[in-house]
Amino acid sequence: MSDVTPDLELDLKGLLCPMPMVRVSQNITNVPVGGVIRAVATDAGSMADIPAWAKSTGNEVMSAEKVGGEFVFFVKRIK
Amino acid sequence: MEKQTIDSMVGVLDARMNRQLKQYMDICARCAICKDACHQYVATQDMKYLPARRAELLRQIYRRYFTKAGQFLPALYEAREPDENLMDELYESTYACTGCRRCTYYCPFSIDTGWITSVSKGVLIAAGRGNEMLGQLADAALFKADNMDVFDEIIVNGFKDVVRELEEELGRPVAIPVDKQGADILYVALAGSHSIKPAAVIFDAAGASWTLSKFEAANYGFFFGDPAKAKLIADRFMNEAKRLGVKEVVITECGHAYRVAEMFYEAWAKEKMPFKVRHILEVIDEYIKDGRITVDPKGIAEKVTYHDPCQIGRNGGIYEQPRDIMHAIAPDFVDMTPNRETQWCCGGGGGIVAMEEFNDVRLKSGGKKVEQIKATGAKLLACPCENCRLQIEELSKVHDLGLRIVPVMELVAEALR
Repeated sequence: MSDVTPDLELDLKGLLCPMPMVRVSQNITNVPVGGVIRAVATDAGSMADIPAWAKSTGNEVMSAEKVGGEFVFFVKRIK
Repeated sequence: MEKQTIDSMVGVLDARMNRQLKQYMDICARCAICKDACHQYVATQDMKYLPARRAELLRQIYRRYFTKAGQFLPALYEAREPDENLMDELYESTYACTGCRRCTYYCPFSIDTGWITSVSKGVLIAAGRGNEMLGQLADAALFKADNMDVFDEIIVNGFKDVVRELEEELGRPVAIPVDKQGADILYVALAGSHSIKPAAVIFDAAGASWTLSKFEAANYGFFFGDPAKAKLIADRFMNEAKRLGVKEVVITECGHAYRVAEMFYEAWAKEKMPFKVRHILEVIDEYIKDGRITVDPKGIAEKVTYHDPCQIGRNGGIYEQPRDIMHAIAPDFVDMTPNRETQWCCGGGGGIVAMEEFNDVRLKSGGKKVEQIKATGAKLLACPCENCRLQIEELSKVHDLGLRIVPVMELVAEALR
């Protein structure tokens, strides 16, 4: 995902689930349709929560990776 | 508003109407004693947060469609046909309510405003005015549970990471059983490891036969106000408990999740569950009293206080077990005043921490809790509810309290011998 320039960066480190998902949801309308949020969380629960939120709201998780002790998401606004 | 929408709203009110709700609709004496009981009204002096006003909005619809006087002389009998203004007022009053039910405790007629707001939420959902964020969180939980073929590996790998982290922290292995047929306990945690680690250490120390649920305890269908969704979310771990044949379901330190599982689920499911439901603090208290775990009576040397979450305290009746636990591990435990039935809500319940639009009232309404905490002089707060912890963490930052806020079970794990 290094070739993608995010429209918004979210630092969700230290937040416990479901707050990482809540913050992504609250901020998705702050990027244009087709825009991308890069979010970094530390709660392992976000690895299932954020993709589930994206699927159920019709948005797209372009990637979800564990990097060291952090979970890095690229979320694309679809609608 | 369109007739079809109004019919749908009235249909929900009709379906939820029972003797209890009818009584609440008919008997308010407008004494306004509830104004001094509500943390939101006390903090804002705004009528829309007055418990009697929250109920009155639903009563206006009730009178219009369920009473003869309201049907024929609506203006005289304060009956009101729903319009966008009424729906705006109902939305703000209803979704801001944290469901703490302190007003019910003080009401001379015990009018249950929490129950009334749950019906108001149903009416709002019928009008397409349910809170969007809570609806999304409920749908995401359902999607995750319905697509376990996709998420199972992610969830189980997350559990394996917790086992590795625990071994690094403790220098010894602690097992986290999953899908263990015939275990005595199904422990239902939250999505993050913070609610799994201390419980695993305590179960391990007690030699308990347990297994960890793959589903989380949190239930945003309940906060959203849709009992059907709330039941579907809780179905996942209740069905898992039946499949594994456990003797009891133990809910983590999460107030509303305990209440859903212990107080509402059987009524929603219309069946008696073949196991009991307990809060983790009831289990830990029993372990200490039965000698299944040994704790250092001076394990927590620092001055510590305890917050009664509304959902397990006033609404759940669990007051003494957490205090007995605290007395067993912390010689400098100090209670807040008031406490137990009359404790102040922290302002973070009912899903309000996830609804950005209520941030102002949420933070203002935490003022009473801030005063209570300050008066104890403690910098360590034991708090057995995730929503309360989120709220009090923020209050601590805003008011520069310098608090360390931890689950009770984390302190117990720290004090284990």
